[in-house]
Amino acid sequence: MRECNRTTPIIGSHLAPQWASQSACLLGTVLLVSLAGCAGDKSILDPAGPAARDVRLIWWVMLVFATLVLIGVTVLWLYAFKPRNVVRTPAQERRIARRWIIGGGIMLPVASIITLLMFGVSAGQRMLPLPLGEPPEVIEVIGHQWWWEVRYPGAQGGEVITANQLVMPAGEPVDFHVSSADVIHAFWVPRLGGKIDMLPGRVNKIRLEADEPAVFGAQCAELCGVGHAHMQLHVEAVPRREFDAWLTARQEVVLRELAVADATHDGARDAFKTHCASCHQIAGVSQGGIGPTLSDVGGRAMLGAGVIAMEEGAVSRWLQHHQTLKPSNKMPDHGDVETDTLDALGAWLEALSP
Amino acid sequence: MKSVNQEAIEHDPQQLHNDLHAIWCNPKGLRSLTIVNHTTLGLRFMVTGMVFFLIGGILAMLVRTQLAMPDQNFMSPEIYNQVTTMHGTVMMFLFAIPMLEGLAIYLIPKMIGARDLVCPRLTSLGYFCYLFGGIILTSSLIIEMAPSSGWFMYTPLSSKEFAPDLGSDFWLLGITFVEISAVSAGVELVVSILRTRTQGMALHKMPLFAWYILAMALMIVVGFPPLILGSILLELERAVGMPFFQIAGGGDPLLWQHLFWLFGHPEVYIIFLPAAGIVSTLIPVFAGRPIVGYGWVVFAIIVTGFISFGLWVHHMFTVGIPQLAQAFFSAASMLVAVPTAIQVFVWLATLWLGKPKMKLPMLWVMGFLIIFVCGGLTGVMLALVPFNWQVHDTHFVVAHMHYVLVGGMFFPLIAGLYYWLPLFSGRMPSENLGRWGFWLTFLGFNGTFLIMHWTGLLGMPRRVYTYEAGSGWEIYNLFSSVSSFVLSAGIAMVLLDIALHFRYGKPAKHNPWNADTLEWANTMPPSAYNFVSLPNVGSRHPLWDDPNLPHTMKEGKHGLAVATHGRREMYGTDPITGKIREIIHLPGNSWWPLFAAAALAVVCLSLLTEVYALAGVFVIIAGVFLLRWSWENGAHPSAAPNADVATGDPPLHSRTMDGPGLWAMAVFLIANGSFFLSYLFGWFYLWTVSPEWRMPDIPPLSLLVMVLAGLALLAGSTVIEKLLRGLREQRDGRLAAGLYLAGGLGTIQAVLTGWALFSAELSPTQTTHDAVMLVGLFYALFHGGLAVILTVLQALRVGYGYVGAHAPFEPAVVALLWRYNVITFWLLIGALAVLPRVIGG
Repeated sequence: MRECNRTTPIIGSHLAPQWASQSACLLGTVLLVSLAGCAGDKSILDPAGPAARDVRLIWWVMLVFATLVLIGVTVLWLYAFKPRNVVRTPAQERRIARRWIIGGGIMLPVASIITLLMFGVSAGQRMLPLPLGEPPEVIEVIGHQWWWEVRYPGAQGGEVITANQLVMPAGEPVDFHVSSADVIHAFWVPRLGGKIDMLPGRVNKIRLEADEPAVFGAQCAELCGVGHAHMQLHVEAVPRREFDAWLTARQEVVLRELAVADATHDGARDAFKTHCASCHQIAGVSQGGIGPTLSDVGGRAMLGAGVIAMEEGAVSRWLQHHQTLKPSNKMPDHGDVETDTLDALGAWLEALSP
Repeated sequence: MKSVNQEAIEHDPQQLHNDLHAIWCNPKGLRSLTIVNHTTLGLRFMVTGMVFFLIGGILAMLVRTQLAMPDQNFMSPEIYNQVTTMHGTVMMFLFAIPMLEGLAIYLIPKMIGARDLVCPRLTSLGYFCYLFGGIILTSSLIIEMAPSSGWFMYTPLSSKEFAPDLGSDFWLLGITFVEISAVSAGVELVVSILRTRTQGMALHKMPLFAWYILAMALMIVVGFPPLILGSILLELERAVGMPFFQIAGGGDPLLWQHLFWLFGHPEVYIIFLPAAGIVSTLIPVFAGRPIVGYGWVVFAIIVTGFISFGLWVHHMFTVGIPQLAQAFFSAASMLVAVPTAIQVFVWLATLWLGKPKMKLPMLWVMGFLIIFVCGGLTGVMLALVPFNWQVHDTHFVVAHMHYVLVGGMFFPLIAGLYYWLPLFSGRMPSENLGRWGFWLTFLGFNGTFLIMHWTGLLGMPRRVYTYEAGSGWEIYNLFSSVSSFVLSAGIAMVLLDIALHFRYGKPAKHNPWNADTLEWANTMPPSAYNFVSLPNVGSRHPLWDDPNLPHTMKEGKHGLAVATHGRREMYGTDPITGKIREIIHLPGNSWWPLFAAAALAVVCLSLLTEVYALAGVFVIIAGVFLLRWSWENGAHPSAAPNADVATGDPPLHSRTMDGPGLWAMAVFLIANGSFFLSYLFGWFYLWTVSPEWRMPDIPPLSLLVMVLAGLALLAGSTVIEKLLRGLREQRDGRLAAGLYLAGGLGTIQAVLTGWALFSAELSPTQTTHDAVMLVGLFYALFHGGLAVILTVLQALRVGYGYVGAHAPFEPAVVALLWRYNVITFWLLIGALAVLPRVIGG
């Protein structure tokens, strides 16, 4: 029922890249696990940016090394159980023991640690928001129970605010400034790179880059309450030009016009003011301030922070069944509102697509 | 000093047994609740731990059932979060630690040639606190109001605003209750190992297991107090609204994470070290030779203990901390691999140079090795910050953690249980059923968790109650779930084997594995007094060097083979050399531990139900019970009114200035000091790091009043020290008067501190600054009051004749508390009253 992960991008015709089919990967060597099929859109092993690619390389190298160590130690132990009839003097025994302890107990781990640190530290540098020649685009992401507020403070013409969708320019570094409005959440786009916690009262920064235009999955990674599993984010990297156009289409003035256009939706607008306006903001219609803004909801790929795909009738379905689709979410049940009203509301909200 | 009892006196072994049994034996029926014997209580700890293990295991099976398929509705997210939170909590706090403590409580006195632990009533208190705390905590599941914020209870998700029901309170109160038990056990294990080893067992001669338990116990003593502090602060925030972890008042949710992981990371090693101790005990026995590199192992234990306190931040790599700190904690986290690798290769070399036999316990040691090394390697991976950022909070970490904990604790534990079963019961387990159990457990475990690394790499976060079809995680989750039921079947088989063996096992011959350590000199199952006579042990392998030792011990040919005086006695020895210093006489069975624990349970329940008046009343009742318990000490008629000892034997400890109670007080003060330092850490952390912390413009705390209070405290302590000097010279003139004077000075300090607190006009529900200050002043008040009460009781005891030049022991114990109070109070003055004036906001 929920076809959420492979949605086609909304703008442009950039299909997500074909998921590299990773056939027959070896996980460890104790068990051979054949991995036919494909990785999802959240796989660390299918990187789409420099930071994630570094980590993937680190992982495979570490895996090979760790596997060799594990096999080595296990074989030595099993071999130690073999009956031997050697007579050794205490001095010989001491020498053998010291060789094992110093070689295996000290030199092996110390050498591994030094190698690993040299290898790993450089990768970590890339994820830091160090100053660049040209300041990167800044996108603010604020976690709420259980949805995402996304802000573009650098947009030309004024700050753009949206929710539950993250559109970013491809092929250039982007700085994410993340925080939280309530509990601790974590921002994580696995295919682009590492996660960072979203804390109330603090702003954490992480730099990510998408190589090419594509769609990625993202999900809150810190337990944040009953809606944790359903706190997902649709991330889309687009070429710079389209990104700028996307921002322009979401300027407040444009959204205001969109909200009041088309008189056929007047009934829906009234219903909205009655049932929704105290929580949800729509530019030119309501202030909201509690739930996600809906000014451009019709243009989003997903509804309910990644719960159902946006398609015709989706909003109405969401309004009728949201407590089943996303249990315990904070929107009240709409059993008291007539289905026709919800359908009308849905049609209008779907039309709010800049 | 040489005991006359070591001269070969001919005893009748049966008569000796009867005499000792009459003094040490356990009562039956309802009075069995008064038992303080370590053998009985050790078993109770372990059996209770197993019950909680089964509860935790059932919760794990529920989790795997829910995750077996995508989009399942087997559990709602609310229930799922309760189940995962309780699974982690039960396994860590109600199974792993108490189980290992139980094993240590059972084994340590036997291994070091003692007759009991050094504070038997404390063992009993610890057990009842654990039992009651565990019952209170797990009962929350039945009323579907269990904690649901994850086993590490991150604020603000666990705070009142986002978790308004009782779940978090159950966790905070229940866990704190259980931690009293852990710290009690920690204190007495430290003192027992240091002060009650049998004659001649110098520190470098004691079994490695005792080294491991010594390190574990010290780590509990230092590592648990930060969490106790954190729990108290969070409960205060929830109950009365002091904003310690709320940004708005000046608090910081990250403080909770620091306090939690300051405890939480050492906790991993608190669990691992005793398990490694089991491995280090078994391997030499089954290799038929002494362990190679005893010194290396001791070195590794100590280094592990120290490093483990410097790693806590690696649980917090993603919270956004400075790069330099990350590099430090990353390197430290990897460094802990060194002492672990040393132990692995010591074990390997021991097998290599011996003639190893693959008996059932060794099979579990093999399983341990493979799983634990695998977990250690993924641990090193996780210490690398860029990789950590990717897999943190995914199923990769879930897999890693289970490899370390199940591999590092559960497998050695089962190896140890199989090894010591003949000692517990006198019977052998079934080799056949045992092997089936092992292979099912081993394969089931790897099937469940090896694949889970991969699920995590594919991006599955931990603690999600479901996932969508099409995520690419379905097949791996199904595989994990199916394997987890294989694992459960294996564990069920092991438990069945252990349960059945008590009835159907073949009778074991004496010392069935040909072990080298003293616990096997016991009868199987052991007698309540352990040993008829306490030997002089000059070797690390007493039973290998003198296979006849169990017989001569039984025939009473060694120390303290006299019981006609009616006291429970054993040796107190020098902590380093193992030379005899005094005879420790132990208290007998008592109701007071049960009563005190029951009163504390009522406190816990009334806090839960928010009947604070009742809680206050029962705090006082619990205090009265504890003081009543402490009354039966020293020269009290029920303790040791008669100080006669055989000619040539050392004096009773209560007639010296250096008994185990003094050591217990010292170790308890280390725990207390760790609590206090955590408090100071919190104060300075919030002051320097918290985003909205505000220092008041005018420091509210009067420096003058605080300094006067500090001087009164110092004067009181000086009076006590002077009295002690007198007692050392056998003078006790005006002892009672001096004690009353000190008590009076202590009262002045308490009154002045109270006045400083009152005149500061704090508003602790408004600002974090005031709340933290209030907690510090209450700490000072509590300790000042405690010192006054104990000092006045001492003065009363002088009047009764329980304390004096003939029994000078107890004032020395109280003096230690006074010294501690002086140090902490002046530190408090510096931190709360001086520094804010010097540095300002």
